[in-house]
Amino acid sequence: MKPILELRNLKMYYDTQAGQVKAADDVSFVLNEGESIGLVGESGCGKTSVSMSIMKLLPENGRIISGNIFFDGKDIVNFSDEEMNKIRWAGIAMIFQAAMNSLNPVYRVGDQIVEAITAHEPNVTFEEARQRVANLYKLVGLDPERMDNYPHEYSGGMKQRAIIAMSLACNPKLIIADEPTTALDVIVQDTILRELEKVQKKLNMSMIYISHDIAVIAEVASRIAIMYAGKIVEMSDSVVIFKRPAHPYAIGLMSSFPSIRGEKKELVTIPGEPPNLLNAPDHCRFAPRCPFATDECWKQTPSYSEIESNHFVACFHPQNLKKLVNMNA
Amino acid sequence: MMLKYIGNRILQIAILLVIYVAIVFFLLHAMPGGIKTLLISNPKLTPQAQEAIIRAFGLNQPLWLQFVDYMKNVFTLNLGISFSYYPTPVWNIIAERLPRTVLLFTVATLIAFFVGFASGKSLAWNRGKTTEYVSTVVGIITYTIFTPLLIFVVIWFFGSFLGIFPLNQFLNPDLWIHTRLNAQIIFLYILMTMVIIGAVMLASYTIALRFSHKVITRRMIFYLSSIISVIFSIFFWWVSPVGIYAADILWHMVLPVMTVTIISYAGTMLVMRDSMLETIKEDFITTARAKGLPDKVVRDKHAARTAMLPVVTNFVLSLGFVVSGGVITETLFSWPGMGMTLLDSTLAKDYPLAAGALIFTGIFVLIAHLVVDIVYAFLDPRIRY
Ligand SMILES: Nc1ncnc2c1ncn2[C@@H]1O[C@H](COP(=O)(O)OP(=O)(O)OP(=O)(O)O)[C@@H](O)[C@H]1O
Ligand SMILES: [Mg+2]
Repeated sequence: MKPILELRNLKMYYDTQAGQVKAADDVSFVLNEGESIGLVGESGCGKTSVSMSIMKLLPENGRIISGNIFFDGKDIVNFSDEEMNKIRWAGIAMIFQAAMNSLNPVYRVGDQIVEAITAHEPNVTFEEARQRVANLYKLVGLDPERMDNYPHEYSGGMKQRAIIAMSLACNPKLIIADEPTTALDVIVQDTILRELEKVQKKLNMSMIYISHDIAVIAEVASRIAIMYAGKIVEMSDSVVIFKRPAHPYAIGLMSSFPSIRGEKKELVTIPGEPPNLLNAPDHCRFAPRCPFATDECWKQTPSYSEIESNHFVACFHPQNLKKLVNMNA
Repeated sequence: MMLKYIGNRILQIAILLVIYVAIVFFLLHAMPGGIKTLLISNPKLTPQAQEAIIRAFGLNQPLWLQFVDYMKNVFTLNLGISFSYYPTPVWNIIAERLPRTVLLFTVATLIAFFVGFASGKSLAWNRGKTTEYVSTVVGIITYTIFTPLLIFVVIWFFGSFLGIFPLNQFLNPDLWIHTRLNAQIIFLYILMTMVIIGAVMLASYTIALRFSHKVITRRMIFYLSSIISVIFSIFFWWVSPVGIYAADILWHMVLPVMTVTIISYAGTMLVMRDSMLETIKEDFITTARAKGLPDKVVRDKHAARTAMLPVVTNFVLSLGFVVSGGVITETLFSWPGMGMTLLDSTLAKDYPLAAGALIFTGIFVLIAHLVVDIVYAFLDPRIRY
């Protein structure tokens, strides 16, 4: 297995009037070809910031401070905009969080997808590109006749599917799906995610799923990375994370969401305020909300420990969920 | 869908037009002394002429009958006889002057729109540079400046200081005295040439859109046919014996056009800049960037194209403002169009002419409104439904 994307100690900060927002702090992970990883965490923990760093589409006040992003073996951190434009969409495509507004209101939806194809493959004729879009429409469950409609004539779910079709247009090696379904009702959400997973497997693409809902992610991603306040705090196979979460935050997160399949779990809510990334402290960022925090946790940031094979946790006091549940009972 | 929308708009404008014409009628009747005294109390008129006017306007009839007659007359272009140009019918004067105003406005507006659009666009795109601050300040100054003051500055700078442009009139009498040519005919030919060039550009644009999907080919078709039609018409006027007279008229147009352009330019630029800054924040711009489209394509095809919509809306709103600026401009440059006619006839108490000028200025504004509405519908797919 060949790695397609590797993040190495990525630091991405926003400069604001009030100070630095450390939206991604020492984020590292490796994603292999054909593999999918889920990035999970509550709102504001920096998921979108990580994906925008990979696309290098940061706002004016956002900067990559240090670290590397290897895509296809090349470090793209210092790539110019022109160099990035070759990678964008052809190499890494993205399904945006705000899918509803991701289409330009004044152009036909089909044309906006064709545009992506002809931008990267100048030898493809207009008719060939349209044919490809029609096939993609069928793949994501849209009627190809709707290609010539404008975005306002689409329903939310249709827009979402069109955007998924668009992300597949140039056969990218990697797709980043940033909350691809949050705006939709649960049933449509489930179908679309499943379709996305099917397509990903079929075309052997790598995928980063981003969501705040760990149950949703666990069903489609083979691995899960849990983010808290700009840092990945736990990472392992989905099954492992789901069965044996070790970071206190992961345990809390796991319990606060009902699975979309309807399995009910003990609800352990996470007490305390969501973290403020502004001028983030040097100690463990979860310490203020952590029931297990000790003096150590307030002094320094924990480094990763591999508590079992391929299961990494950044915590001084990794827990065992089974024991906890038994204790409560 | 589009046709239905356009049909609806035309109907609405037609209704507005009738209401407007009716309002002008009641305005005239509400004037001190009533319309009868106003119409006939002109010392130049002989008693017979006064009698004729009373009969022609049916001024002894009841008001509602007068109203019906008036509406009938307006829509059959029977607008009465001008006092100051007695016995020329009002319609003849308007038919001669309306095209001048239409030309002045259309040319100035188009220039202002495209220059304002382009500069507003690049200002927003290159945010934070000194050029942005300078142009914004200059824009706000020209936007808020008292129009006559602006005109005096233009007159002083180009007419007196540089001395390169003529300051008054529609043409140079010294040149035209040796010929028996009718300036109006030449002017209409100029107008026709411009309409033809415009039509060629529009047609080549439509053809390019329909028959090619490559941006470069589209541009080639459009620019090539535009340039060829412009060169061809210049050549045509060059070899024709009346070319020099046409040039004289155009030469006299430069300053008025420039002034009206400045009046409407700043608004377009400022609105375009603001709208563009808003549009850049939209999610579909991030999408366009993520697709790896070149910077220019993101700017022009996605950001500017969408940011343009509020500019067009703003244009409709500022139409009245531009027209009042136009009245002052025409008057100060002695450009004998509708604006100057409106002012002169009112001052001369030439009521038939004033009413006619008022009605046709209104019609012109309403039609401009309609044209912009239709253009907007073509620009924004959301409006057509
Ligand atoms: N342009 C910006 N300037 C300053 N701070 C920003 C900017 N964009 C995001 N942030 C901050 O960075 C942090 C991470 O934001 P980000 O959008 O990456 O979160 P997220 O995990 O994607 O959240 P959500 O689930 O709500 O989408 C947040 O605290 C946010 O307030
Ligand atoms: Mg986000």
